[in-house]
Amino acid sequence: MLHSKKVRSGVTNIGCPLLFGAALVASWQTGLLHKILKTDEYILPYPMRIIDIMKENSDKIMLNVNASVKVALIGLLLGSVLGYLIAIIATVFPKYGSGGLTIVSAFNAIPIVALAPVFINWTKDVSDIAEERSMAAKILVVTVTSMAAMSVNAYRGLTELPPFSEDLMKTYAAGRLTEFFKLRFPNSVPYIFTALRVSVPGSVIGALVSEYFAEYIIGVGRQIRENILIAQYATAWAYIVTACIIGIVMYAILMLAESIILKACLHRT
Amino acid sequence: MKKLKKLLTSKFFITIVWVVMLIAVWELFAFHVENIKRTPENVQPHLSGIVDSLTSDRKINGSQTALQMVIENAKATLTRAGIGYIIGIASGFLLALFMSLSKIVEKTSFPYLMLIQLIPILGMAPIINAITGDIAKSRIIIAAILTFYPVATNTLAGFKSVQREKHELMYSYAANKFQIYTKTMIPACIPYFFTGLKISAPMAITASILVDTLQGGIGLGCLLSQSLKGAMTRYVFWDIVFFSAVIGILSFYIMGIIEIMMCPYRRTGKR
Amino acid sequence: MIFIVLFCFISFPEQRNINELKGTISMIEHERNDIEIMLDNVGMVYDSADGKEVTALTSVTMDIHKGEFISLLGPSGCGKTTLLRIIADLIHPTSGNVLIGGVSPKDARLKRRYGMVFQSATLYDWRTVIKNIELPLEITHCPKKERHERAMKMLDLVGLSDFADHYPRQLSGGMQQRVGIARALALQPEILLMDEPFSALDEFTREKLHVDLLKIWRKTNKTIIFVTHNIQESVFLSDRICVLSPHPGRLSAIIDVDLPRPRTMDIKDTPEFTALVSKVRNSFEGV
Repeated sequence: MLHSKKVRSGVTNIGCPLLFGAALVASWQTGLLHKILKTDEYILPYPMRIIDIMKENSDKIMLNVNASVKVALIGLLLGSVLGYLIAIIATVFPKYGSGGLTIVSAFNAIPIVALAPVFINWTKDVSDIAEERSMAAKILVVTVTSMAAMSVNAYRGLTELPPFSEDLMKTYAAGRLTEFFKLRFPNSVPYIFTALRVSVPGSVIGALVSEYFAEYIIGVGRQIRENILIAQYATAWAYIVTACIIGIVMYAILMLAESIILKACLHRT
Repeated sequence: MKKLKKLLTSKFFITIVWVVMLIAVWELFAFHVENIKRTPENVQPHLSGIVDSLTSDRKINGSQTALQMVIENAKATLTRAGIGYIIGIASGFLLALFMSLSKIVEKTSFPYLMLIQLIPILGMAPIINAITGDIAKSRIIIAAILTFYPVATNTLAGFKSVQREKHELMYSYAANKFQIYTKTMIPACIPYFFTGLKISAPMAITASILVDTLQGGIGLGCLLSQSLKGAMTRYVFWDIVFFSAVIGILSFYIMGIIEIMMCPYRRTGKR
Repeated sequence: MIFIVLFCFISFPEQRNINELKGTISMIEHERNDIEIMLDNVGMVYDSADGKEVTALTSVTMDIHKGEFISLLGPSGCGKTTLLRIIADLIHPTSGNVLIGGVSPKDARLKRRYGMVFQSATLYDWRTVIKNIELPLEITHCPKKERHERAMKMLDLVGLSDFADHYPRQLSGGMQQRVGIARALALQPEILLMDEPFSALDEFTREKLHVDLLKIWRKTNKTIIFVTHNIQESVFLSDRICVLSPHPGRLSAIIDVDLPRPRTMDIKDTPEFTALVSKVRNSFEGV
């Protein structure tokens, strides 16, 4: 009886969302969705057509995926490292540090649309090649957005310690470095992942949006826009699907990394 | 002396110091740009120049000063962001409510709720614009979708945070479902709900500005791209950058203030 | 019997009205003859996560009288909370019968015969103290004016009238728990179910609340089921102690506490008290 209960809950867990998804795709393929959205199969092509186009243009799509993912990953890495460093500095100088973090976290609330053109201005002299200039500007946008998420979360991880653990370290007469590596850093690991859960999807969005304003035309986000301008909706949809896949794959990788690393941490202690 | 020391370490003072430092860095960079560039306002103008452009009464497009233009366009952008925000809040809250009421709804929609967060909605702005065929509508829709996710997930987390004892208490009173929700569940999730509101307010504004840039017409984003293309003085661009930054940050804090007003119990300190 | 009446006489000088005294006598007599809770062979078996059956409670049979103060005492895993939750209709026993005043626990709950007090005060932090106590009365659609009056009366009973408009987080842990008790009494239930209500408080606060709880009990004449893992606490408070032992959870003894009432803190220093404590301690099996 218990066994059947478990099976049943598993069936609803997977079955309900699958059924919903199947219904959605079916209504799309049969044109019902077009009626609901009051649009036509020209602007919203059938799923099979989108897949065909993705197959036909796979080389070109991969080129743009490369550009976007590169921007997202480099920006994410730079931003996260910078954000963590800021958090460490804020931990060492708590009074002024936390005030600085308030400012950094305010960056989160600034529209990326406003940031992107400013950074494009700033990076005009970085290189003579338009592709490299644009790349630098886009990376800067992603860096700033992921830095904000990382610094705020990492600061919490470095300062919100288990009760009395700081006192325990003091009784061992541990130095600041020992305290950092034995207590603060391990404590902050889950918080790093909290930050990444926000900044990984954020980095993809940052990369796509900053492409809109970039000088050099490349990237999944820019292709969506360019193809719509020339009314190639099916191609635009192919890029939208690609963008969704990028977002989902990057998040899935993050989840995998999180489960492996957190498990390793648990085994170590 | 003691008072001075207290002032120097107060939170307010520290924030001021940081803001002053940011301004100093900005100005230093601006001086540097001024020396090496012919048109420094294209890269980084002095803050004074930006303030001047806002306060001057020179007509930029023949009938309006820079400030008037920014305000007029901001009205259009913010109204649509606001409408989308409210629609997003309402639908996000309702979905969370239905998810907490029904296991089937929860199980069906939870994976898709996660997906919405991973899909770059902002990247889809052009296609949504194409489907609706109306820039005003697409602004509202995108702002609503972006608001929807944080509000729905945070509200749901709020419903789930209610202690088991509170459920048992209501059970022992033989309270009906309506009473359980109005007396316990909904008041308990309000702080979580506001977390969602605070996260999504700047996002709704970002969405609205971004959609503006896709098409002409009225709106901060349109003005921004016109200024970037050289249709008017570059200072209008800087005005908008600062204006939207301030509005984005303000929207976050305004939600915080509304929360404090609505929840007096969180205001009173521990005895 | 005369003893009890005499104590009433001494402790409530304002009740020297002879008619009231007669009323008290007949009430006590009436109560002693009446069974409030009847447990017949009650057992509880859970399905654990790995598919094994876990016996939380085996065949508990006992009667609880009206107005009695009963402690369910035992270490963790002995099923004392399970038994309380069965009485409260929060879970259904897998075997046996429970009758509350002649009806099933569910009917008793629907008639709002239970007041519940938890380990944490479980107050609603967005409501003031008085509004917290009014909560159950709102559920039963009690008119606004009456609601307030009744809540104030309950607040007065627990001695917190001055704190009506405070928010819970402004109160100390002991005060919060008193508000919890006042709230549990607001619907005037016949039975007060208390699940380790004082275990999170410090010893000084706890001792004070013991004396207060006994006073409240005397004034309101509730049947109290009090879950605890503290032997002294159960001896000090109860008429009878149900000693439960773990693995599997079972009723291993019922011990009468014949210490005189009203009890004060001094009673803890008497040899009778100490003797009872060790009697209770020795009645545990397999701990």
